[in-house]
Amino acid sequence: MNDGVALGELLALPFMQRALIGGLLTGALGGLLGSFAVLRQLSFFSDALGHSALLGITLGILLGLNPTLVLIPFAVLFALVVSRLVERSALPTDALLNIVYSSSLAIAVVALSFVRSYKGGIHQLLFGDILGISWLDLGLIVVLLITAVGYLGLTRRDQILLTLDEPLALSRGVAVPLHRLLFIVLLAVVVAISIKAVGVLLISAFVVIPACASRLVSVRFNGYVALAAGLGAICAVLGLLLSGSLNLPSGPCVVLMQLLGFLLALALAPRQRLA
Amino acid sequence: MAEMVLEVSDLTVRREGVSVVESVSFALAAESDTALVGPNGAGKSTLVQAILGILPHQSGQVRVLGRPLGPKGQLPASVRAQLAYLPQSFSVRNRCPLSVADFVGLGWDPPGLQLPWRGSERRRQAVRQALVKTGCSDLADRLISELSGGQTKRVLLAFCVVRPRRLLVLDEAQAGLDSQAAEQFYGLLFDLRRSEGWTILQVSHDLEMVRRTCDGVLCLNRSLRCSGPPDHALSPAQLERVYGRGYVPYHHHHR
Repeated sequence: MNDGVALGELLALPFMQRALIGGLLTGALGGLLGSFAVLRQLSFFSDALGHSALLGITLGILLGLNPTLVLIPFAVLFALVVSRLVERSALPTDALLNIVYSSSLAIAVVALSFVRSYKGGIHQLLFGDILGISWLDLGLIVVLLITAVGYLGLTRRDQILLTLDEPLALSRGVAVPLHRLLFIVLLAVVVAISIKAVGVLLISAFVVIPACASRLVSVRFNGYVALAAGLGAICAVLGLLLSGSLNLPSGPCVVLMQLLGFLLALALAPRQRLA
Repeated sequence: MAEMVLEVSDLTVRREGVSVVESVSFALAAESDTALVGPNGAGKSTLVQAILGILPHQSGQVRVLGRPLGPKGQLPASVRAQLAYLPQSFSVRNRCPLSVADFVGLGWDPPGLQLPWRGSERRRQAVRQALVKTGCSDLADRLISELSGGQTKRVLLAFCVVRPRRLLVLDEAQAGLDSQAAEQFYGLLFDLRRSEGWTILQVSHDLEMVRRTCDGVLCLNRSLRCSGPPDHALSPAQLERVYGRGYVPYHHHHR
């Protein structure tokens, strides 16, 4: 792609159309799940998932399979194993997650450097590439969005109680272990699907920043979730347009837009909510 | 003979292989108010969480309103709906953008799948009445994360009273409250217990308050060391059996 492409020309390109639709949907998904993940203090968990995704992609490449299709089961399995490890370990969660994600990132980068066809592609994997979104990815994202909205919408009241206080939710008969498991699986799949556009290093921002911005200005739970999803979607679209126009990596452009949204929310938030 | 709302027989709870609660048996008659006292680490919170099915139990039996609690905390939904619980550390994780009215409404809803936009007039009315009963009407639109400790406890009571309940379990409800707020809270709890017909089991460290407000006391230090009316169970000799030799009770100065 040439530098400084006009917006009209850009929008006419099929890959850009796919990227924008994909960005809109994954941004909304990231914001939707992020609104729960942030309140449940799972932000660092999503970061670890993102970093470890590179290992999943590497596995796919080494096995000669479609990396996206390998990445989804890998991310789910990885998320379940790590959450079990966190529950059982006496080590502080942040330290344990740090060991897990830096190790998996290191193994993946070393393994990838032996794969000739990917020597030049690591940058795209780390920081995202709008060219990478295929029709298959778009189909998966649509299915995932419908699943996430349906699941979180129908169990909304149980999810809020679980987010507020697990013992209180258990005392009311909420199936806490099942919901915790399903949420972790959903988060892992969302991270796996969003990796192509955002990149391994910045994927957690997709989950965390829109939710935090929304939390600063929201006074109702429904509004908080909707605003997080909306912000995620808008920032993804604006970031991808910036990326396409100036030929910059897509992940950092999306995160810059999210940062702007967060700073705006910070300026608008009532003072007591900043404490 | 009075109806038994809660029956606990030979209950043992282990955590990470260690017995935290051993062979505990007691029963609570309908509309009684019983305190569970004991030193820190005695297993009080573990016992109430096992009774509610929050923690699994290894042996023994718990019957709530005549129905047995499964080893993993299973209870029929109709029985579960008649239980209410005030956790000890609720204020720690409540940084959720949720209004008081919305939170109280969660106490009305049965768990499970529900259409998100479905909010019946009966539910709204129940929430309004619960807020009136607990003196929280002026807090309806406030965020729960912005409430004081005393307001949070009253809102938790509204969460309990929004639906008819039989058994209310409180885990150190007075924690984090100054003496005036604790006095107000217990006054409200006393009134609600009478008007709603609640049976209460409350974990408490405030023995003076227990002496003044409860009908019965269970003294726990891993196993049940003594039980009975406050005059008997809180006598110096009995307290020494529970808390150890040289125990000096701390007196809160309630007005």
